[in-house]
Amino acid sequence: MTTEAAAAPPPTLRQRVFGETPSAWVFVAPAAVIIVGLAIVPIVWSLVLSFRASDLLSPGRSVGFANYEALVKDPDLRSAIGHTIVFTGLFVPLSIVVGLLLAIALNRRIRLIGLYRTAILLPFIASTAVQGVLFSFIFDQRFGVANAMLDKLGIARQGFLGDPDQALLVIVLIALWGGVGFSVVIYLAALQDVPADLVDAARVDGAKRWGVLRHVILPQLMPVTVFLLIWQTLLSLQLFDLVYATTRGGPLDSTVVVVYYIYKQAFVLFHAGYAAAVAYVVAAFLIALASLQFIYSRWSARHA
Amino acid sequence: MPRRTRALMTMAALAATALIGASCGGDDDDGSSGGKAKLTFWHGQTELWADCLATQIDEFNRTHKNIQVSSDTGGVVADRMLQKVTAGLQAGNYPDVAYVFGSDLANFARSEKLLDLTDSDEIDIDKFYPAARDSATVDGRVRAVPALIDNLAVVYNTKLFKEAGVPFPKDDWTWDDFRATAKRMTNDSTGVVGLGWPGTGDEDTTWRIWPLVWQLKGDVLSEDGDSVGFDGDSGEGALAYVSDLAADGSVYIDTTAGSERMNQLFQNNKMAMTITGPWNLPDFVDAKVSYGVAELPAFQGEHATIAGPDVWAIFDNGEKRSKAAQVFVAWLTSPEQTLACAQQAGSLPTRPDVLDQPGYQDYVESLPGLGKFVDNLDNARVRPTVAEYPEISQAMGKAIGLMLFQKAQPADALQEAVDKSNAALKVPGP
Repeated sequence: MTTEAAAAPPPTLRQRVFGETPSAWVFVAPAAVIIVGLAIVPIVWSLVLSFRASDLLSPGRSVGFANYEALVKDPDLRSAIGHTIVFTGLFVPLSIVVGLLLAIALNRRIRLIGLYRTAILLPFIASTAVQGVLFSFIFDQRFGVANAMLDKLGIARQGFLGDPDQALLVIVLIALWGGVGFSVVIYLAALQDVPADLVDAARVDGAKRWGVLRHVILPQLMPVTVFLLIWQTLLSLQLFDLVYATTRGGPLDSTVVVVYYIYKQAFVLFHAGYAAAVAYVVAAFLIALASLQFIYSRWSARHA
Repeated sequence: MPRRTRALMTMAALAATALIGASCGGDDDDGSSGGKAKLTFWHGQTELWADCLATQIDEFNRTHKNIQVSSDTGGVVADRMLQKVTAGLQAGNYPDVAYVFGSDLANFARSEKLLDLTDSDEIDIDKFYPAARDSATVDGRVRAVPALIDNLAVVYNTKLFKEAGVPFPKDDWTWDDFRATAKRMTNDSTGVVGLGWPGTGDEDTTWRIWPLVWQLKGDVLSEDGDSVGFDGDSGEGALAYVSDLAADGSVYIDTTAGSERMNQLFQNNKMAMTITGPWNLPDFVDAKVSYGVAELPAFQGEHATIAGPDVWAIFDNGEKRSKAAQVFVAWLTSPEQTLACAQQAGSLPTRPDVLDQPGYQDYVESLPGLGKFVDNLDNARVRPTVAEYPEISQAMGKAIGLMLFQKAQPADALQEAVDKSNAALKVPGP
């Protein structure tokens, strides 16, 4: 081989374009077409859009950085970001803590354990639209089950989704109901990966339940926790469907989160260019966040 | 290159072509296969009207050999039509005919793919009532065909009124009467509430305020159209009235998406009155609610109400299909066909010649209270067809929300809405 290669003529044009193994392209082509068509083209197209005033209907015109300048000063966007931060700040820690507690509770051999595990996972499978409809009935201020129960307990009725001060919190609750199942599944898997001899060794050394949890199990769950932290954060920053199914941003815009704001700008108010600019800022933020996960895994691999 | 590799290359190239072809499918299909013009029709309707439209489409296809209208709805309901058609126009894959809310037409009209029907041989806009005609006209050009017309009146639950011993509303009532009635009908022990108002802050919240504004001598736009026409007393008076209703505790604020809850409450005898249009009557009959209809109240004599006409928009898919689409829409909006589905659509006559149709009396008597809505068309005005309307709607919807939740003074809320709307009216469009 080596002697042949040394005597080989300079590569032909075809070889230069397609490389040494042209048939490799055959296998790559379908996937490449899909990725370019469904991901790269829209990404580039919306970048172009973000520098235009466009309603998606007429040709539009170029406005330079005006959309980006406007979004810095937009008070409605600021409050939408605020709502997203509140949602994320509540949903992510709660879904992780509650998920861990449930996973620990479910990680034992008791009767009907399969049933309990399935029950916890069920809400995670239900579609968001179904969750939205279900909970807007439960939390209806006048005729919902939630208020009927409060009545029985002698507690004052609440506005829930109909109250501008409570709606976002109720959405956090609904999201938890639907989203905790994911944390549970991940933690359950991780718990079963904790080496039994580590736990046994700790017990022999006199560790009590809390000690085992604090010093043996939790450190073992660290990589999974970091993954969940970033994954759930990415999800909550993109919250849209639950808002659309329950409140459509109301009452009084109290549940307008960033992605819903983008949708409203593009498809209700016909500011597609501006919406694209906001979307780009959000995307940049999400990419930065996702790369944290990458950096962490590199770091932990080096320090393992 | 070995033969095997070449064969694989060919396959890959084919696969790639197929994928690319699929992603812009429909572009190269001008629908003219076999000499027949094939039309895509997104009517966006469900249940009763959809069934009636299906029989109309069948009849049209039977009687028009050169045109084939697809009864595939595009999977869109009217609520989402705007987003779906916008996305379709952007992707170059859009219907020939779509059902569009009147308040969205001005924005669609910015697209050159929306046909200009001013000089159409098929469509004669002068045959329609003025309110319907105005809603299909943008900047003096005919850009759509009226599909449906309605208006708002008060529908009240006669059973609840009888139980409470409250006399039925009369057509000559005032907003003070309305407020007092709502208060009397609200009863926390039975869970009955006086009336409902959508509270999500979208157009469903907003359009109910315009009759009050008009009655107080204001308007959506000023006469020159450069600024809003509801600043000052008219807007403040209307908002203050909503605020008073809310302060009485006699309003159910419906914050659910699509304002469906209000109707459910009314149908379950939990809401005494609802401000609504004829489209709800078939549902009320279905739910066996006994109801009556009264005109909107007035401040001083004038019982102005609002009509929200919706339209058939025709999009340019090449000359042959455009022409066929106009033939189809002209047929669909003819007096006979308008009447054929008017009851199922909960629509009022869009054109005076419907009244001369043989089945007209049967139609009026088909639903209790329908005749009242037909007469109420005399009081009806329409929103302006301007591209900035969605922003005005949003600003005013916020102000109404602030009233319903008792979070601001009418004057302050109005000022914010006026400032936002005027700012939007000053921005040049794309």
